[in-house]
Amino acid sequence: MSEKLTSVGLDVGTTSTQMILSELEIENRAGSFAVPELSIEGRRILYRSPVHFTPLLGQDRVDARALRMIVDAEYAAAGITKAQVDTGAIIITGETSRKENARAVLEALSDYAGDFVVATAGPDLESVLAAKGAGAVAYSEQSGKTVLHMDIGGGTSNLSLIQDGKIMSTSCLNIGGRLVKISPEGQLTYVSPVLDGIFPKHPGDYVNQAEIRQLAETLAQVLEMAAGLREKTQLLTALTTEGIATPACALARNDSTDFVISFSGGVADCIETEHPWLAFGDMGPELGQAIRCGRLCRGNYRLGAETIRATVIGAGCHSAQLSGSTVFHQNMAFPLKDLPVVRRPEQLAQLDSPGVLALEGPPRPGYRGIQTLAEALAGVFGDSPVLIAAEQDMAKALGQALALRLGRDAPILCIDRVRLTEGSYLDVGTPLGPAFPVVVKTLILNT
Amino acid sequence: MNKEELTAMVAEILQGLGREPAVKAADYRNTAPEPSKTDCGYADGDFVPDVTALDLRKLYLVDAPADGEKFKKMKLKTPARLGCGKAGPRYKTLTMLRFRADHAAAQDAVFSEVDTEFAKENDLLPTKTRCDSKDEYLTRPDLGRCFDEHNAKAIAGVIDTPPRVQLVVGDGLSSAAITANAMDCLAAIRDGLKLKGIDTGKAIFVKYCRVGAGDAIGDITGCELVCMLVGERPGLVTDKSMSAYITYKPRTGVSESSRTVVSNIHAQGTPAVEAGAYVAELIDTILKRKVSGVGLHLEEAK
Repeated sequence: MSEKLTSVGLDVGTTSTQMILSELEIENRAGSFAVPELSIEGRRILYRSPVHFTPLLGQDRVDARALRMIVDAEYAAAGITKAQVDTGAIIITGETSRKENARAVLEALSDYAGDFVVATAGPDLESVLAAKGAGAVAYSEQSGKTVLHMDIGGGTSNLSLIQDGKIMSTSCLNIGGRLVKISPEGQLTYVSPVLDGIFPKHPGDYVNQAEIRQLAETLAQVLEMAAGLREKTQLLTALTTEGIATPACALARNDSTDFVISFSGGVADCIETEHPWLAFGDMGPELGQAIRCGRLCRGNYRLGAETIRATVIGAGCHSAQLSGSTVFHQNMAFPLKDLPVVRRPEQLAQLDSPGVLALEGPPRPGYRGIQTLAEALAGVFGDSPVLIAAEQDMAKALGQALALRLGRDAPILCIDRVRLTEGSYLDVGTPLGPAFPVVVKTLILNT
Repeated sequence: MNKEELTAMVAEILQGLGREPAVKAADYRNTAPEPSKTDCGYADGDFVPDVTALDLRKLYLVDAPADGEKFKKMKLKTPARLGCGKAGPRYKTLTMLRFRADHAAAQDAVFSEVDTEFAKENDLLPTKTRCDSKDEYLTRPDLGRCFDEHNAKAIAGVIDTPPRVQLVVGDGLSSAAITANAMDCLAAIRDGLKLKGIDTGKAIFVKYCRVGAGDAIGDITGCELVCMLVGERPGLVTDKSMSAYITYKPRTGVSESSRTVVSNIHAQGTPAVEAGAYVAELIDTILKRKVSGVGLHLEEAK
């Protein structure tokens, strides 16, 4: 069996907006004489949009109408209609995601991509998508090296620490190429509020290259702190995005040949290529050079296979995964969106909407184990649909056991081989043969 | 049981489960490592009380490797005997002993018999094919596919009305596989079928069983479908792998291509309970389509 999914990725960043269209190939990896085991085996990019400037109204509101026009035009250019899209992600990233109208923008666009598209803005997810889209995860997996990936965009830098192809931790810093904007005459037109106390200039002031270079060096040093290459100061804490813990990246050490720093994002294009300092009307070229001359590039470093498009490719090609291929569902309508994830049954009652209970184990439960689990879980969902995501291969048996207890009319969904952490959200698409496409979102916009 | 008690019970169950290495959807392989809390715990020269207790995925015996750590990481993905090192042109003693131990376990699985109490304890109807010994079973496949009059009568006596689904457990080539997996799998199949409104009567245990014995059972009972759980020919990786053979309209003489098989049911493959749930759904599909085996694939490709 080989099926194809059409996936769209849309990244609305602080600076740029991009879209890609890709095709995910689903194959059954198990032999004909075994229980099926579907997985995404191939990812092919069918269309890449040009890099658009994100349309803004003033400094801090995304122009939803103009954005919609861009997307309209890109769908037309790619030759697809809304109905042809199966999955994918619209991701509003960086500073833009904190803009007050981000949710309105998401709503304006969410009808756009079939019935299974995640609209999200979590920095954790953005880090993951950028690391995958840039090829850093694949590089780590193939080489066995530890990779610290930095996606340095317009407003934020998303960091991921990757070991053996697994993302161990992520973090987000308020460092990017467009924290200041400069007119061709060298006059500041914008200074991001995150630079308060770091950069003494204001919009309207004139700046020279040396002053911007100095700011760039300060910011590059903060990235070095995040990488564990420099003593931490409170600047690192100040520039780490609210709510995100200090990165575990500190365990990265640049003195081993097994450790590589990789870069993507718009600023990555300014590391090995020197541009005139005002080439883009921002500090990107200077930040790129400050990184190149600093400690980050003193050891092993590499540019991602994708740079400025890393996040959008991640969103288009890597946001969806497949559940296990033996699952159970009855009386459920798909897709399901934004299901809050809890790890303890008593937390279900505290939610305003139906939640998913994530089960870690047990590994290879026996029949008795499944029955005990079903007996205990049958009551905890109350009047809400029974939604369970297990890590171990047991969803079908557990679902059947629950259905026998709750009746054939009870709404039940049991999936497995999905790992969910507390506080994440889950989207479940319409089933693909025996499996479900799922998207795990680590954070969504605060309403 | 009130709500608080339930909550406490669930919490207890979940806590008791322990943290196991996560297996992400996309990373799953049938050869997923058998989770173990400790490393293989063997250092060169150690006394090993039981060579079969060492985890082959972690046992790395190469002397002075260029990059042993990376090899070990790759080795976690396969139970194959790689990275064994050598003593001159030969295997090391440990490798040799382990190979012979695994080979012996495989032979034992074939030659040992399922406990005589097994059928009784699990409420199965005990029967035997025309074979009278393991040697005869191995040398005369034809006799492993049919019953003598006595056994046929016993089956006909208990299963007197033609059932839709007849469940059968056969020792096949691995008694160990049946002891380890059959009852868990059978219970899950029964549950799954019950959910579909399909009742299953008494299941039959067949000693010295070949897959074709299911056809003879079809002749005797007149059932619409036979699902047989049978021990697979053991290998050096596991001696406990079981298959489920599902045959629609099983009658002596049906073609082998009319069977649907689900193989690799064991702890490191598809867990028995999950496989059972899957098999139940498969049986339901086969009953609806009225065809199994290659015909089912053709039907589904339409």
